[in-house]
Amino acid sequence: MNTTSTMGRLPSAVLRRPTTLLLSQTTTPSASHQATTSKQQVRHATFVLRHRRPYQFTQLVQLSDGSTYTMRTTSPAALYKSSKDTRNHSLWQPSDKSLRNVEVDEAGKLAAFRERFGRGWDLDSVATPEEQTAAAAAASATVTAAPTAVDAKQAQSPASTGKKAAPAPPPVAEAEDSEDPFDSLTDLISSYASTDKSLMGGMSAKDQAKAKGKKK
Amino acid sequence: MATLREVTRSARSLPLSQLSRQAYATCSRRCASSQAAEAELDDLVSESGLAVPQLGDAEKGAFRPWKRAADRKLGLPSSRYQYHPPKYNRGQFHPIQSPLSSDPIARDFVPGPFNLPRLRQTYQSTIASDLMTLAYNHIPPGTPQKEQAERLREWDGSSPYHKNRSKRGPRGAPVLPVIERNITFRNIPEITEITLSSYVPKAIKDQDHLLVARTMLLALTGTTPELAKTNANVAQWGVQKGQRAITKTTIYGNAAYEFLDRCIHLVFPKIKDWKGINATTGDGSGNLAWGFTPEQMQLFPEIEVNYPMYPAKMMPGCKIFIKTTATSDRQAQLLLSSMGVPFYGRK
Repeated sequence: MNTTSTMGRLPSAVLRRPTTLLLSQTTTPSASHQATTSKQQVRHATFVLRHRRPYQFTQLVQLSDGSTYTMRTTSPAALYKSSKDTRNHSLWQPSDKSLRNVEVDEAGKLAAFRERFGRGWDLDSVATPEEQTAAAAAASATVTAAPTAVDAKQAQSPASTGKKAAPAPPPVAEAEDSEDPFDSLTDLISSYASTDKSLMGGMSAKDQAKAKGKKK
Repeated sequence: MATLREVTRSARSLPLSQLSRQAYATCSRRCASSQAAEAELDDLVSESGLAVPQLGDAEKGAFRPWKRAADRKLGLPSSRYQYHPPKYNRGQFHPIQSPLSSDPIARDFVPGPFNLPRLRQTYQSTIASDLMTLAYNHIPPGTPQKEQAERLREWDGSSPYHKNRSKRGPRGAPVLPVIERNITFRNIPEITEITLSSYVPKAIKDQDHLLVARTMLLALTGTTPELAKTNANVAQWGVQKGQRAITKTTIYGNAAYEFLDRCIHLVFPKIKDWKGINATTGDGSGNLAWGFTPEQMQLFPEIEVNYPMYPAKMMPGCKIFIKTTATSDRQAQLLLSSMGVPFYGRK
């Protein structure tokens, strides 16, 4: 400390400047008197600041579709696997059908409920035509649901294709059934990223307690 | 030669023919030097010297160079002259000058860049050219330029004192709004800096809130946040103007792009029931802003990785200000939406 202060000693005129940096240096009474009297700022020297830079790591980020990239972060984890990001969010992937929030009604209970109580109270009653057809297809699979015009068409189409060798142009419902091959591929990849249990170091304490309880 | 050495000095001066007989005669005499020559042969070691002697445990324990270095009070003198940049800049005419900040020995040297951020790469390769093409406005050559209407109000000259008086600003507004410039090949909007600011009114009662807020901003940006003072009185929160209850930091360039990339791809999708950013954001001159609640701040990977470090009740929210070179809000929104920020609603 002593050596540095002697090395970095400034001209005495600098001492007139009231800075916190120079407070440690001894000032003569006359110099301090000058500091109070002189209003004008005297700048003979500017302190060269050393930047304070918290350490940043290079982190590998794996998105939910398996794509990776690196980024500089303060996080010390070497790998960040995200379970939810733009690759599996319907807001950024509007064309991906698997991400849509379509209600699953395999048992036809929702359809039965709506048949009994209507949809007047339902806020989401205005559904897109694709959703309507999907819901109708699910309803047709069960006996309880009332057959509609769309259901009848879909029920006929597989039968007609089975009987006749040269079928008519495929109906809309069938075209929807045959899924996009890339769609299933993204499902497969994203399932790898999301269902990896070793991501957070195995099961959580809560899950472990649950598993123990089940065994007993 | 050994026999020659045994002969006395006087005898050695004689010619060799006379000497030879006498030399044989004196051979039986004992000399100390000849004994030494025989002893030399005894010193020869029979086994190879390449076999290294093994150290004992006591010897190994005694060898502690780190202890010696720790006990040493003064540092070792450097082997050669070392240059240290000056601590103070004393003006451009002073004989001692600081090295450039790009010089690794300089005090204000910052290493890097260490990577090319993904978003910046995308901007340079795709987004910039796309924006330029999409916003192209064809003006046939030879079209006369429109005269810009005078925006400042002139004095009517009714008083002689109006002469040389500076013009008045617009009615109702103290400052002139920025005029939107067309997007051309030399004017493509880009992101210049991002400011994160956290307003913590509770810090007036308890300073620890400010510490938590600073730590969070540090973790998010990798810079040291600065403290700022409140600029308004809020009676309900007991805030007076000028109290230290704000912490903020600004990141530029690569860091800004990386932070925005993290927001878009890792944080926004994790927010529950999120529609997007309200399209009414913007200050009218191409700077957009949004906020994160304390719950949404936890979604950042840097916060998430050591989430227990932050006291749950002290976690602050944060405002994000994106500053762009765009000259209007719609151009800035065009830029951000092309980068993947969803907007909802209409301006």
